[in-house]
Amino acid sequence: MNAPFSAPVPSIATALPALDIRHVSKAFVVDGKAVEVLADISLSVEAGSFVSIVGASGCGKSTLLRLILGLDLDYAGDIHLDGQPVEGPGPERSIVFQEHRLLPWLTVEGNVGAALLHSGLDAAARRRSVAEHLELVGLEAFAKAYPAQLSGGMAQRVAIARALANRPRFLLLDEPLGALDALTRLRLQGELKRIVAHEGATAVLVTHDVDEAVFLGHRIVVLHPRPGRIAAVLEVPEEARADRSSPTFVALRDRVLELLGVSLGEGRAR
Amino acid sequence: MSLAETLDKPAFDTSPRDGAAADTAARRHTRRPGPSRPTALGSVLLGLSFPFALLVVWWWAARLGLVPEQILPAPATIYETVSSLITDGTLATHLEVSTHRVLVGFGLGAVFGLVFGAAAGLSPTVRAFLYPPVQAVARVNVLAWMPLLTLFMGIDEPLKYVVIGWSAAIPIILGTARGIENVSPAFRELGRVLHFNTRDTLRLVVLPGAVPSIFAGLREGLANAWQTLVLAELFASFEGLGYLMTWGRQLFQLDLVIIAMIVVALAGLAMDLALRWVERRAQPWKRETRDVH
Ligand SMILES: Nc1ncnc2c1ncn2[C@@H]1O[C@H](COP(=O)(O)OP(=O)(O)OP(=O)(O)O)[C@@H](O)[C@H]1O
Ligand SMILES: [Mg+2]
Repeated sequence: MNAPFSAPVPSIATALPALDIRHVSKAFVVDGKAVEVLADISLSVEAGSFVSIVGASGCGKSTLLRLILGLDLDYAGDIHLDGQPVEGPGPERSIVFQEHRLLPWLTVEGNVGAALLHSGLDAAARRRSVAEHLELVGLEAFAKAYPAQLSGGMAQRVAIARALANRPRFLLLDEPLGALDALTRLRLQGELKRIVAHEGATAVLVTHDVDEAVFLGHRIVVLHPRPGRIAAVLEVPEEARADRSSPTFVALRDRVLELLGVSLGEGRAR
Repeated sequence: MSLAETLDKPAFDTSPRDGAAADTAARRHTRRPGPSRPTALGSVLLGLSFPFALLVVWWWAARLGLVPEQILPAPATIYETVSSLITDGTLATHLEVSTHRVLVGFGLGAVFGLVFGAAAGLSPTVRAFLYPPVQAVARVNVLAWMPLLTLFMGIDEPLKYVVIGWSAAIPIILGTARGIENVSPAFRELGRVLHFNTRDTLRLVVLPGAVPSIFAGLREGLANAWQTLVLAELFASFEGLGYLMTWGRQLFQLDLVIIAMIVVALAGLAMDLALRWVERRAQPWKRETRDVH
């Protein structure tokens, strides 16, 4: 976990950003009135890059991930993946939902395996992948358990295993580590960083934990609420990503907190 | 019509838990020692204690001659009658006839109800087409249709199968359709993200999510089947437990009536238990999470 982090290898030199969000606005109709939730969001993410999104509750982070997934096509603007417009969910994208969303009637391994049904792998390879990913999140002993038998944090780890099992090129993470204890959270932050780098995946992480945003992201997008809009995009220097106690890390974290409107006078958040 | 429904309306919960916080809160809640919940054996004993107390009161009342024998025969008389009905095989014959009618009628109703309920749950078009008549029919007791039905099919066995099946089918249609419609949208969405095809979606999302409601419908349908059986046999039959009741009433042999009532209740209960057993088998994920303590 503490191994020096190596920059993602830019696998294929491509001019196109892997994920391109252009002037996206989204409104929901509530009580017959249109309520704008996202306003003119533009963001390009190059392949292999990790973007953290922070913002107040209700500012549209989960909504943005749903749009990237293609679950909701009713918005203004364009979202392109590798130059193709998003027209619906695709196997190259996976998500860890904000709530674990495990199927209660499938065992832990059944839930992870459900992500591989149409992966083209044979049964043995699927079993192997499930076992590997459960091991990754430290739940190999719970393969046969049902979700109701897990704690909230364990269920979230299963959801992470499920999202990773199919080796997605785009990984969307909606507060995936929210319910974990501090120690597991630190370990899984390291694992996520390693996997995303190793697979060359493009990741978008929504988090309320500013430390996590700095540690994982190559860039941090700060959203302001009502309607959700981009307040700032901050580059994370390698030095900050590599060392949580470096001055750059601390400075960047404080800057993000400030942008979020947290006064740093007393009670510095974490 | 819906005794089962009012007695134990199941609290379905097929929706995903709302975040981890609620999850842990709920878990903590179940661990808290609440107002003492009876154990399995305890609740069986508790359930038996009321009928037992009633029996004791009845026995004493008869002994003290508080109620005339013609109105309420003493338990001892009942016991004698039951013994002779069992030894001469009469009870078995009637029970067999009635059970056969219920099984055939309920079976027809279940197949019909599951198929139409599933179609209505899966297709809004079928639902729009099917629901208004079903709901209208559900409001009229099937026995009200009997005079009309007898014109078409006489008063033989097919009539009984049809009315029993009919009364069973209605809650099964409604339960199945409702169960399928109420499958959590979050899980349907998950199915899209995981690239489920239609078969996966039915197998992994819709069916397991609908199971509790389907079984609630089946159990209510079974209760309806027994009720309708008795009434149908009162109306037109020369054998069966319902017939035994009419016969006993006409002869002022109220012991026969009471025995037939008890046997109907027990047979219905036994079948309901069997259905519950199947329901538990169908949902291993619930079986394994029951409290051990
Ligand atoms: N289906 C919907 N219909 C109407 N309004 C919605 C719908 N989904 C989301 N909203 C509204 O959109 C806004 C943004 O919701 P969203 O879930 O994206 O917030 P979020 O940034 O993820 O918040 P949190 O950090 O609490 O998860 C909220 O005000 C919410 O009420
Ligand atoms: Mg959210």
